[in-house]
Amino acid sequence: MAATPSAPGKAEMIDLTKLSAEQLLQIKQEFEQEMTNIQDSLSTLHGCKAKYAGSKEALETFHSDWENREILVPLTSSMYVPGRVKDLNNFVIDIGTGYYIEKDLDGSKDYFKRRVEYVQEQIEKIEKIHLQKTRFLNSVIGVLELKQAAAAKLQAQQQSQSAQNS
Amino acid sequence: MDKNSAALYKKMQTEVESYQNLQKSCVKMVKQRALLESQLNENKCVLDELNLLGPDNKVFKLCGPILVKQELEDSRQNVGKRIEYISKELKSSTDTLENMEKDMLKHREAVAKYQQQWQVAAAMK
Repeated sequence: MAATPSAPGKAEMIDLTKLSAEQLLQIKQEFEQEMTNIQDSLSTLHGCKAKYAGSKEALETFHSDWENREILVPLTSSMYVPGRVKDLNNFVIDIGTGYYIEKDLDGSKDYFKRRVEYVQEQIEKIEKIHLQKTRFLNSVIGVLELKQAAAAKLQAQQQSQSAQNS
Repeated sequence: MDKNSAALYKKMQTEVESYQNLQKSCVKMVKQRALLESQLNENKCVLDELNLLGPDNKVFKLCGPILVKQELEDSRQNVGKRIEYISKELKSSTDTLENMEKDMLKHREAVAKYQQQWQVAAAMK
């Protein structure tokens, strides 16, 4: 999904008034569809960011004096078995497509920090596109309403004329 | 309805049908392309991460339920190959999509033409 540059957007805005009401309606529908897609991806991205941030927070709570400390390990979300922390400085991280890497505490924290930043960047990019599309959609709706109002006026005039004639 | 306009109507209908079929496969292609794009992105992220690793970092690959240790260099090459493959797939699907859109436009124009002819024929009566 490439960002629509503002220059062609302006060119299209000039053309908007020349389009017929049907064409405008079609554009409006297409844009509304696109907006829903963008909203969906935005919410997915926010979910991803929350997950990464959660993992990072979990790592922040680890202390270096936790060696041999007793913890409860979840087997399922509602069943735990007691265990001991053996190796404090090795975490295995899922980096996607089935690959896992081993990193120390700082490296893992760094990894999640970078991930959160990356996702945030993507969110900002998409929000920009979203804003542009909203503006364009609004102008389409504005022109459409103008056209509809003009058409209604014309119809009213014709009706009153035919009423006068009869 | 006389013979001429009936024939026109039939032609128009076949055009509309093929247009709708194309539209359906077009939607499918778009979905497939989105999937490829997300896979490409994920693989790129993985490669970035692998490139950041030093020789003392261990890499594992998930095979079913177990993790298998991998050589860093092997993993890099593997992911690189995958990116290459997915990029090729993406390119070919973009090409097909473009062709489809062209075909769709042709059918739409044909429908409009037949519609016009049909209306003219109807008005002549």
